[in-house]
Order: sequence, then structure tokens, then C-alpha cells
Amino acid sequence: MKQHLGRQSGVQNVEVSLIDGKVQVTPKEDGQIDPAQLLKATYDSGVTAAEMDLTARGKIVKDTSGNLALQVEPNRAFAFTPNELSKSLESLAGTQTAVTIRGQLYKKPSGKKQKIDTSAPLKLLILEVEKKE
Amino acid sequence: MNKRVALLLLLGCVIAPVSQAQIKHIEMRVEGMA
Repeated sequence: MKQHLGRQSGVQNVEVSLIDGKVQVTPKEDGQIDPAQLLKATYDSGVTAAEMDLTARGKIVKDTSGNLALQVEPNRAFAFTPNELSKSLESLAGTQTAVTIRGQLYKKPSGKKQKIDTSAPLKLLILEVEKKE
Repeated sequence: MNKRVALLLLLGCVIAPVSQAQIKHIEMRVEGMA
């Protein structure tokens, strides 16, 4: 799996801990990494992703449906799963304020093992707002 | 010359916030690993 993930675009380094099943992925400097592609690659390597957390820096924007999102690249934004923390960022929408967020992008639904649907957009559940600048 | 420097500074202010935006770290918990 380490080699499989390491071959994905934008991946600098992959560390796998067999003891607790944790996989740490360090993106390249340019940050051009696709979390959905990583989930698919994980599944393709024969294991099931139970959770995916990420730390990302970007701007708060509102998407076409009016939902708040974190824009991490000009063409990539993660819509928030609404919670108290996402509400607290609403005033920053459309501003130049950069926000660093730690959040959960994927959690396996309870139940049987199932194929990951990569066509569905991943939503970011904010766990912590680390920095506003 | 000053005009060129001012333009570069202005461009930097516009581009910098976007170029610094990025995914810094990803952590996954996986199941079924041998």
C-alpha cells in the first residue's frame, strides 16, 4: 500500500504504522494532492480506509449553492459539514484571510465493507481551526 | 523602474494568499492491513 500511495500525484512521503493502522501522507511542497484519489488508491491496494483527516490552509469561500467551503487550490475546494466551528468562519467568507484547519474528510459508514464512491464530493468536518491570518 | 516594482508588489499581494493555500498533511486510519 505504501508504494501504491507513494505513486499518487502530489505525494512526497508515506509512513505506514502496522500497529495502529495509521497512514501519514506528506504532500509535496506545491500541495497538489487529491484526497479522493488517495482514498481510491487505498481501496485499490486492498485495504479499507476507515477515516481520513487532513490539515489544510486556504480561504473561506461560498460555493454556488451558498455552502461554506475551504478553497485550498484555485480549482479545489472542500465544502464544510456544518458545525459550530464552520459557523464561526462564516464571517471570513470571501475575504483574503487564510485559515489553517484540521478536519475529517472521510469516515467509513458503519456496516459492511463497501467500495468507496469517489464520485461523491468529500465534505470537510472541521475538528479544529488552528490559525487565522 | 518604480512603477515596475510597484506592479510586482501588487501582483505578489494578489497571488500570495492563493499560492500559499494547500493541503499540509493527511492522516488515514485503515483496516485490513496485513
